Amino acid sequence: MSHLKKLSKWMVSFICLFIGFMVAVQFQTTTAEPEVRDTRDEWEIREALQQEQEKQQELLQKISSADKTLEDYEEQSSEEQLATLKQSIDSLEQRLGLTEVKGKGIEVQVSPIIFEGVSNAQTYPELSPELLTRMINDLNTYGASEIAIGNERLTNLSPIRNVNGSTYVNNRPLPSLPLTIQVLSEEPQKLKDYMEASQSRDVFNIESLEIDVEVKEELKVPKYDAPLHLEILEETGE
Amino acid sequence: MWLPILFLVIGLSLGLLTDLQIPAAYSDYLSIAVLAAFDTLLGGIRAHLERKFDEVVFITGFFFNVALAALLAFLGVQLGVDLYLAAVFAFGVRLFQNIAIIRRIIIDQNLLVKLRKK
Repeated sequence: MSHLKKLSKWMVSFICLFIGFMVAVQFQTTTAEPEVRDTRDEWEIREALQQEQEKQQELLQKISSADKTLEDYEEQSSEEQLATLKQSIDSLEQRLGLTEVKGKGIEVQVSPIIFEGVSNAQTYPELSPELLTRMINDLNTYGASEIAIGNERLTNLSPIRNVNGSTYVNNRPLPSLPLTIQVLSEEPQKLKDYMEASQSRDVFNIESLEIDVEVKEELKVPKYDAPLHLEILEETGE
Repeated sequence: MWLPILFLVIGLSLGLLTDLQIPAAYSDYLSIAVLAAFDTLLGGIRAHLERKFDEVVFITGFFFNVALAALLAFLGVQLGVDLYLAAVFAFGVRLFQNIAIIRRIIIDQNLLVKLRKK
């Protein structure tokens, strides 16, 4: 009798072991994150490493410039501190696009192509937000520093939207075509060449629009004058 | 009394240390098997407290319940009906019942002990 009792005790213990094992495996299965495999080859890893190093470099530079500003504040008298503060504000405003900027750049003229020989009534072509976004992406890719569409300065926050069928930039409607886009750049000639050869030109042609690019030595880009809505912005933590 | 608990802990640590993982397709089966195992374990504790514990019933119950639950889940997958939910429901209800009964028995025992002391 006692022999059987002992055996059953071991059996129960064994089942407990089994249960524990199952629970542990289940726990591990449910908590395990899907494995993300690193399938990059050597070259890609090197590139990633370089990117990280560049980022680090950039951050270090930022730190040193911030340190310098701090030092300036500490060393200077209150009047000079005020001047430094104003200077910082000015430079920030400039970066945001709150000031008028002059410089060399290109002027892009967007005009409709109208086939005069064709008798059937044509609709007057319009510049859609998609086309405009595409062109601005192209411009930014090829080295534009400041962009103004018509009279609207583009900032990092400028919306380009379709409102009731017309294109709005900075929450104001664009005038009808032809339209001038002013672009400041360090190398206007290069930017012009890029734009002449870019794909957005073809896309514009499909929509019966024509792009003319001219290099200007002296260009003036208007400032952004609408209020900035910054409530939803947050630090990225970088 | 302590041996099963010790073995439970050993099993847990063994499972955690082996770093074993079940493919996602079979995790349903395992979860229902775990549920069945819990049900059996709690049923065993309850029977023990009621002094009706029978090891044959316990051991066969364990394997039978686990196998039946897995089979039900399998059948559900084949038929396109979530039959394993039925097993989850049944085992869940029984788990709560067993826990309630165990609690009541323990409270009764404690009361008896206190009364006897008085």
